[in-house]
Amino acid sequence: MELKELIFSLCSLMTVSSFEEGSFDELKRLLNNDFDEIKQDAVGNIILLRKCNKENPPKILVDTHFDEIGMMVTDVKEGGFLSVTSIGGLDRSILQASDVVIYGKEKLRGVIASTPPHLRGSGDSDKTVPIDELLIDTGYSKEEICELVPIGSAVGFAPRYTELLDGCIAGKSFDDKACAAVALHALSKISADELAGDVYLVLSCHEETVRIGGIAPAAFSLDPDYAMVIDVNFARTPDTPKAETLELKGGVSIAHSPITDRRLTLMTEELCRSKDIKFARVAAPSTTGTNTPALNLVGRGVPTVDIGLPIKSMHTYNEILNLEDAETLGALLREFVCSNEIKEAFAE
Amino acid sequence: MYNTLKTLCLIPSVSGRETAVSAKLSEIISPYADSVFTDNMGNLIAKKEGKGENKKKIMLCAHMDEIGFLVTYIQDNGFIRVSSVGGISLVAAYAAGVVSEKGVHGIVICESGVKSSDFSADKFIIDIGAKNKKDAERRVKIGDFFVVEPSLRRLTSSRVSGRPLDDRVGCAVLISIAEALSEKELAHDVYYVFSVQEEVGCRGAKPASFAIAPDYALIYDVTGTGDAEGAKPMACSVGKGAAIKIKDSSVICHREVVEMLTEIAKEKKIPYQHEILTYGGTDTSSVQMTGMGCKAGALSIPTRYIHTQNELCDLNDAKACADLTVEFINQLK
Repeated sequence: MELKELIFSLCSLMTVSSFEEGSFDELKRLLNNDFDEIKQDAVGNIILLRKCNKENPPKILVDTHFDEIGMMVTDVKEGGFLSVTSIGGLDRSILQASDVVIYGKEKLRGVIASTPPHLRGSGDSDKTVPIDELLIDTGYSKEEICELVPIGSAVGFAPRYTELLDGCIAGKSFDDKACAAVALHALSKISADELAGDVYLVLSCHEETVRIGGIAPAAFSLDPDYAMVIDVNFARTPDTPKAETLELKGGVSIAHSPITDRRLTLMTEELCRSKDIKFARVAAPSTTGTNTPALNLVGRGVPTVDIGLPIKSMHTYNEILNLEDAETLGALLREFVCSNEIKEAFAE
Repeated sequence: MYNTLKTLCLIPSVSGRETAVSAKLSEIISPYADSVFTDNMGNLIAKKEGKGENKKKIMLCAHMDEIGFLVTYIQDNGFIRVSSVGGISLVAAYAAGVVSEKGVHGIVICESGVKSSDFSADKFIIDIGAKNKKDAERRVKIGDFFVVEPSLRRLTSSRVSGRPLDDRVGCAVLISIAEALSEKELAHDVYYVFSVQEEVGCRGAKPASFAIAPDYALIYDVTGTGDAEGAKPMACSVGKGAAIKIKDSSVICHREVVEMLTEIAKEKKIPYQHEILTYGGTDTSSVQMTGMGCKAGALSIPTRYIHTQNELCDLNDAKACADLTVEFINQLK
């Protein structure tokens, strides 16, 4: 499958945090035997293995989280309206009037209700409505919806993708399944002989919701020699601070942070230079907002490099990425898992 | 359950100083377990061996610590400065009787002239009636812990109020499960964990679950409700049954566990409700992601006025949590 198609397919799966396993079978269908093993662990991580067929191979962990932000039904109100709570750091300012899918006993379509501006109190028109005051309208009566949608059901944004100009695409949950798609695509195209070690691609769960996500138990059980965490990063727009953003089409970000491994980070940069892979340094003074801090402290600690794919409008249903950056990310991942220099430096 | 709960409530057990309540719990649970031990951090762990082939490890966990005050400084006039341990409700604690781990009584008050909206622990003082610093130091040392005086009473035949229901009611549920399972031959290993230091960041449950490496874990704790006057809307009420946790702000429970508990409750007609708490957390998050991780869920006891000296819950809900767990363990393949 072409990379763009794979991104759309993967991002269309419903993987709101803690509901990831529901998409396991659909995911397997998308993979057509490119991996030596695929399994799910106790907490819901999906772990794929590509063997290098060498003796005493080092273990390389690649992490892209598979969960996405969304909502969860907390109550059914009079008139059949659903109350929700957020799962992960939703951008609340874009919720009203958005198209959603409710994953109850059946899949239902819904729209988040929006008070007409004419009817809002004076001074309230610009305020963001707190999540627990939002209501989802499905058209069903209270009796009908109680049958169809148990409390605790997931709500996700309706999957819809748009191709913009110059290689840009827009849609939901590029964070972080676009990166997962890039990793699956890139790893499936490498021959076993080229790999420097056994590569464990962890499609990790619960990244968006808790401080220490599913990557911690996955890394504890795998005990890898070194790791690459791939997550999205902020692409620059006129309204965002320059110091915390990246140019779209400027390649991937490489984080410099106390929680990343300095030597692995510098070697990865060197790899980029020698292979003409575009990257930009970003500073993460105390920590990164990714799975890296969990890897830093799990078990005996995993040397980690933190890579970012620039996207715009993060945590909305219209995240935007550029396919050129996605290709760049794939190229870097390929070089990283095939690098004998890095293997020599970090394998025991 | 009331008598066990009262016994447990009346023993002060601030985070980090849980030995007295641990000793009592050990005494109560010993007859129902094959082994009982305390780990390096202070968690009390009782184990009942399972005899099945392909047996699983099931960890049941309730925390035995509670919120309180820590003595930081003794003034020349004998007043005692404190810092709070855990999220104590200062508005509720104002002017309450307190007692130290050594049995010294006092009153916790705020510096005068401070509005209740500005209350903070560094403006709070314990008055033990001392004449001066020297007099105070004879009875209290820096580093001593105080709790708001424990108590428990029945409000109705099943509803009780007092403190600290958080989380002695969870401990009482564990005891009740252990008692119910004690004569049975079990397929799986069951570990009863009474964890330390939950109130200060869900700490004790981490090393306990790391050492046990359970396949399944259930955590027992109080949860907020939507049925108090002016409470944040929430579909969870005192007296409406065991609250099967779906989510709180620290964890989303494993779906298999949530669905299994729900099915069993329906089948066995055990009163239940679902809990989605949009604030607060429990040991569940720690247990879920420690070591290789496990399938974690939680059964909560709906409680009003949490972290005050008059928490209120219904023992029928606690009993439902125990009944549901016994069935869960029986039915787990």
